[in-house]
Amino acid sequence: FLFHSLQAKMSRPVQARRLEGIDKNVWVEFVKLAATYSKVNLGQGFPDFPPPDFLTEALTRALGGGSHMLHQYTRAFGHPPLVKVLAQFFEKLLGRDLDPMTNVMVTVGAYQALFCCFQALVDEGDEVIIIEPFFDCYEPMVKMAGGTPVFVPLRPNPPKDGRLMSSADWQLDPAELVSKFSKRTKAIVLNSPNNPLGKVFSHEELGLIAELCVKHDVLCISDEVYEWLVYDGKQHIRIASLQGMWDRTVIIGSAGKTFSATGWKVGWVVGPDRLLQHLRTVHQNSVYHCATIAQEAVAQGFQRELTLYGKPESYFVQLPKELQQKRDWLVQSLDGVGMKPIIPEGTYFLVADISPFKSDVPDVPNSDEPYDSRFAKWMVKNKGLAAIPLSAFYSEAHKNNYTNFIRFCFAKEEATLKAANDILQKWKQEKTS
Amino acid sequence: MFLASRNLCCRGIKLRTDLLSRSIKHSTSATMPFRHKNTRRIEGLDSNVWVEFTKVAADPSIVNLGQGLPDISPPSYVKEELAKVAAVDRLNQYTRGFGHPSLVKALSQVYEKVCGRKIDPLTDILVTVGAYGSLFSTIQALIEEGDEVIIIEPFYDCYEPMVKMAGAKPVFIPLRCKSDGNSSSSADWVLDPAELANKFNSKTKAIILNTPHNPIGKVFTLQELQVIADLCIKHDTLCISDEVYEWLVYKGNKHIKIATLPGMWERTVTIGSAGKTYSVTGWKLGWSIGPEHLIKHLQVVHQNTLYTCPTPLQEALAQAFWMDYKRMDDPDCYFYSLSRELESKRDRMAQLLKEAGLKPVIPDGGYFMIVDVSTLNVDLTDVGEKQPYDYKFVKWMIASKKLSAIPLSAFCGPETKKQFEKYIRFCFIKKDSTLDAAEVILKNWNKQ
Repeated sequence: FLFHSLQAKMSRPVQARRLEGIDKNVWVEFVKLAATYSKVNLGQGFPDFPPPDFLTEALTRALGGGSHMLHQYTRAFGHPPLVKVLAQFFEKLLGRDLDPMTNVMVTVGAYQALFCCFQALVDEGDEVIIIEPFFDCYEPMVKMAGGTPVFVPLRPNPPKDGRLMSSADWQLDPAELVSKFSKRTKAIVLNSPNNPLGKVFSHEELGLIAELCVKHDVLCISDEVYEWLVYDGKQHIRIASLQGMWDRTVIIGSAGKTFSATGWKVGWVVGPDRLLQHLRTVHQNSVYHCATIAQEAVAQGFQRELTLYGKPESYFVQLPKELQQKRDWLVQSLDGVGMKPIIPEGTYFLVADISPFKSDVPDVPNSDEPYDSRFAKWMVKNKGLAAIPLSAFYSEAHKNNYTNFIRFCFAKEEATLKAANDILQKWKQEKTS
Repeated sequence: MFLASRNLCCRGIKLRTDLLSRSIKHSTSATMPFRHKNTRRIEGLDSNVWVEFTKVAADPSIVNLGQGLPDISPPSYVKEELAKVAAVDRLNQYTRGFGHPSLVKALSQVYEKVCGRKIDPLTDILVTVGAYGSLFSTIQALIEEGDEVIIIEPFYDCYEPMVKMAGAKPVFIPLRCKSDGNSSSSADWVLDPAELANKFNSKTKAIILNTPHNPIGKVFTLQELQVIADLCIKHDTLCISDEVYEWLVYKGNKHIKIATLPGMWERTVTIGSAGKTYSVTGWKLGWSIGPEHLIKHLQVVHQNTLYTCPTPLQEALAQAFWMDYKRMDDPDCYFYSLSRELESKRDRMAQLLKEAGLKPVIPDGGYFMIVDVSTLNVDLTDVGEKQPYDYKFVKWMIASKKLSAIPLSAFCGPETKKQFEKYIRFCFIKKDSTLDAAEVILKNWNKQ
């Protein structure tokens, strides 16, 4: 009997079924390639300039201060100084009273905030609407929670006057969006400003999503990590401030993106207690506490920003100003060699159409791999320029919908962007000669 | 009516949106009731002993020997490394998801020495958010509905909810006091081998082992580990070995890694903690070490839950590990010096408790001590709430003696709570002034 039961056990895989279909990850491969081959890395999304001085100084102060208790556990759902200042900040932004203990929770990066949302709110059989292209982790996280991702694409509407496309030209088809809502729809994931396109959803677009959420009693998981990175005088609108939305929205934010310190892995959720209570349950049964000292420093960073809010010295004013210049620089650079950038309204990413360079990477019929992925790999190996194929941000079924786009990150020092330009110029020259 | 045309321009979208908008407004009748409750996987997992007791003990006038949190300083070089790291720009950005390269390299070196086998830093190690994160990643990766997981009582409280969240069934087995209730040492608490064997069946996916043990402080002997190993091999069961207190073993005891027993490396995930190793619980860094064919699944969980751990903390930890790796043959290595420091605190704590008429169980390892409080005969039958005796005792002690501890029944499954409700747990990784304050309370205990 023991023998048979052992046989049965050994024929089953050792890993849990929840891992099915989520083991592949585009970053593992592309980060490795960039590390090996790239001379200029515009791939993975992180700044190559340092965080602002006031943030690193806050960390140094915390370390130098008398209390070594900053090296010990803090409050599990968020270090009190941090949740307090986040509550104060978001009260201002949302125009409502917030309780730091119940309306805010700190997480290990926005990544873990997303994980808590799906685990707390998505059950087997639930559908979750994901707008394509999307930050790639949404899909596997929905699957790991037993949910079914339902995709709806942003569709490009190229301007007729021949000017460069803007991320605003990529839009949802309202009727198509409506058709994705069903009895089983539990939530929709909204990412505005959007990674990878840089789209900043307009009031009308958010209004439509909000009405559908209210009509179908659907939750909104609103990934707003790039909330401060909006250009050309655009406004980031928080969907939670629209009618009927506060009660059904979890807002996700990130210190990594806000303060250019992605390696600190401090994120947060803001929302109604009746949703956050379930995120707290997941959190207390998965990581429990987040690192104390990083939270202390981020709290001080936010304190500074609170006093400087709206003023020219505010980091939240300066950073987007700086990044807009870098955006424009990269746009010029790409346009100058014949690649067609889609001008992003926000984030520090832009997507470009690389069609004029396709002849360097011939198509391979019947290849499993999407063309843009092969192109990006060839580019990093042969030109030393790292970028990410747009297909990385699409579901399996739609990976071949757009074959000519790759995503560049422009949160980089001038020297890096200049070096990228040199590579592109040289490449173009090689093609024309 | 909805127009399904795909030919859109900006104006077209606005028009369509408006039409849709009006149509939705008219069709919505009364507001639907809010149906969004918790998912099934977290049903019943919302309460937590820590939430209850850390709040109560947060009052600074209370001498806090409850939560396992050092109030001693981490070694200065550890703090210095973090200060140094703060000045290095690139260390403020993302590092390798499965573990910062210099850290996994340092961990592989340290553990190769301890285990006597080659450990690949990239495939055999995962860095997680505390040992807590390692437990979660391991359980999510390898445990699912239909599985049973054996948990030894008393247990670090998160094992049960984590197993349940994975959809599996916890199967409890208690440590039993072999000297008929009169225990003076953690070594008195043992598993009954026949009882243990009975808990294994074809559904048993894993057993969770915690050595040195929290809360009792037991350090499992080679023979005891062999019994567990034999059963794991016989039933093809995995072993999740929580060894966060691995360096904290006292004279006469040796920490043995079950993964080093024959046949065990391939079925064991061993978990460690920076918080416990370096007295930096707030750094929240831990690790899982094991064979690639198991660790790769933990890595999949990790890449779908939080992806990377903080870079600066990992770098600082790596530097601290290198320093101690170089002196692993030297008694001044922090791995050994901390243990010596704690042994004298242990002995002092035990003495104080005995003098107050309490019966401590002297731990062979870890930094907790359980104490039988029944000898005091404190009558709490009048206390209203229906809670186990030890919960009521701790609350009474906090209120009347200004001293906190943790009730042991928090660490037991439902069947065993009665067996352990006369015990409470004290944490002794506390600075001298805290222990002095505890001494005053204990010396004055009977003078009321």
